[in-house]
Amino acid sequence: MTDVSTTADTAAPTRRAFGGIRSRYLRHPGFMTGLIVLVLISIVAVGAPVFAPYSPLETDMLKTLAPPSADHLLGTDQFGRDVLSRLIWGARISLQVAAMVVLISLTFGTLIGAVAGYAGGWVERVIMVGNDILLAFPGFLLALALVAVRGSSLDSVILAVSIAYTPRVAAVMRSVVLTIKPRPYIEASQAIGMTASRVLFVHVIPNALPPVIVVATVSAATAILAEAGLSYLGLGVQPPAATWGNVISDGQSYIISNPWISISAGGCIAIVVIALNLLGDGLRDTLDPQMRRYAGSRML
Amino acid sequence: MVKYLAQRLLLMGITVTGMVTVVFFLLRLIPGDPAEYMLGDYATEESLAALRAELGLDLPIHEQYVRFMGRAFSGDLGTSVVTGQPALAEVLASLPWSAALALAGIVIAIVIGVPLGVISAVRQGSWTDLGVMLVALAGISFPVFWVGLVAILVFAHELPLFPALGATSSENPLTRLHHLALPALVLGISVAAYIARLTRSAMLEVLGQDYVRVARAMGVRENRVVYRLALRNALIPVLSVIGVTFAWSLGSAILVEAVFSRPGLGSMILKAIFARDYQLVQAGVMVLSLAVVLINTSLDIVYGIVDPRVRTA
Repeated sequence: MTDVSTTADTAAPTRRAFGGIRSRYLRHPGFMTGLIVLVLISIVAVGAPVFAPYSPLETDMLKTLAPPSADHLLGTDQFGRDVLSRLIWGARISLQVAAMVVLISLTFGTLIGAVAGYAGGWVERVIMVGNDILLAFPGFLLALALVAVRGSSLDSVILAVSIAYTPRVAAVMRSVVLTIKPRPYIEASQAIGMTASRVLFVHVIPNALPPVIVVATVSAATAILAEAGLSYLGLGVQPPAATWGNVISDGQSYIISNPWISISAGGCIAIVVIALNLLGDGLRDTLDPQMRRYAGSRML
Repeated sequence: MVKYLAQRLLLMGITVTGMVTVVFFLLRLIPGDPAEYMLGDYATEESLAALRAELGLDLPIHEQYVRFMGRAFSGDLGTSVVTGQPALAEVLASLPWSAALALAGIVIAIVIGVPLGVISAVRQGSWTDLGVMLVALAGISFPVFWVGLVAILVFAHELPLFPALGATSSENPLTRLHHLALPALVLGISVAAYIARLTRSAMLEVLGQDYVRVARAMGVRENRVVYRLALRNALIPVLSVIGVTFAWSLGSAILVEAVFSRPGLGSMILKAIFARDYQLVQAGVMVLSLAVVLINTSLDIVYGIVDPRVRTA
């Protein structure tokens, strides 16, 4: 624990903070489990055309609501579509939403939070009041309202969930930047005449990233749950597209007679979300014990 | 204390004004003419013109904004285009259903989540800790609507203990409670998982502090250390955890209401979205968000009273 805080105070902390703890990742069982599961699911998602035994959209009216069998490992839905194939293609949508939301909310959240924290004064106050206003909305409700207004599509879902979760990243980023700002190497960079934007991009943001990466991992999990929820409500990616939320919603009417349809789709969501949470917990434990304070409660 | 109270209330005022502003711009994000969008393809010219005038769409945007804010703060949130009733009245009619669900859910969540988090922190690194944390991890990872479906399958169908519908028109309070039980459990368990995780880290932070170490070094019995010294100080962060999870649980409540076909704010907003009844959506989003702000401000004030350190922070 002590070595982390000392590295953080020396002149070139970034490389050492990442390098010195690399082996600790490998020894963290949660982190490794999460990573392996995510890599496997990403491979399945990317190779969906190869791995899926059937087309996710091909209907077969002679074989509707078939129970699991050798032909259809997870059975078929009410249109005779192969459930397993729909789940494999659904992985693409979920991972795509997660990746895009992380990319967008990490980029904007990091910038907004870093500028607010580093600039201080009225700039900080104005940005943070705006941020707190967006944070005050329940995240899922805000995403729901945005999708309702913009219309249901993959882009809408990604945009809505990103807007709902960017303020969370920004809030964490700002609080981390506030702890970095008074450090000697920042003062030294300013003293030798570095411009504010250079200090921000060269020293402040790279050193503030670890806790923010933890938050981003958790927000990927939240994004997948939000996409599934929106799809389930009929506001996400529209049917007949195969998404996990859509499959649960399709199977809902047959939950008594064909429980496998909805249950297997929920299982897929849970596996990916558990993997992401394990990854996030592992990163949090490994990167910096201090960040426990930021990671959990801020994300909800 | 007066200064702290004034600060909290001012902050709440700013947040509420900001939220209403966000909701104002939300409706303006609709591509094209919102009036046409809301009334559909078969609307007559007169009804379109009437709705445009009501929404003030013919005015410049800043005038629309001033008008909207003035109306919103005097309690006029527009009219539902479907029923013709004031939107606020419709929202308030469905509010008790959601309040009952959220309240029952959060009580269940606290009763399950806080003790599990404390036990887990006290036995950090043990099998109990691992077990509790794995269950909590599953709890935050399964989609709440899916848990609801499985609960219907198991507890309403396989073992017919509860009704599958989350509401009844019966006036009998026991029947009503019986219908509320399963949705409240589903919501409560998913929130309990969050509370357990956050309580555990709050508790661990307190247990790692110097005064706890000193007490242990002085030979104070472990039970006393945990329950008298640590838990008391961890209660403040635990309270704030509950405040944070409240907003989240209202988001989940929308999904729980959908699974159990239960009336409430969430179902009302959803129905309004599908009917393109945007004034009603606006009103629902506004009231639900205001509820969150009100609860969080009240909790902030409670901490200020309970813990003087919060006031200066």
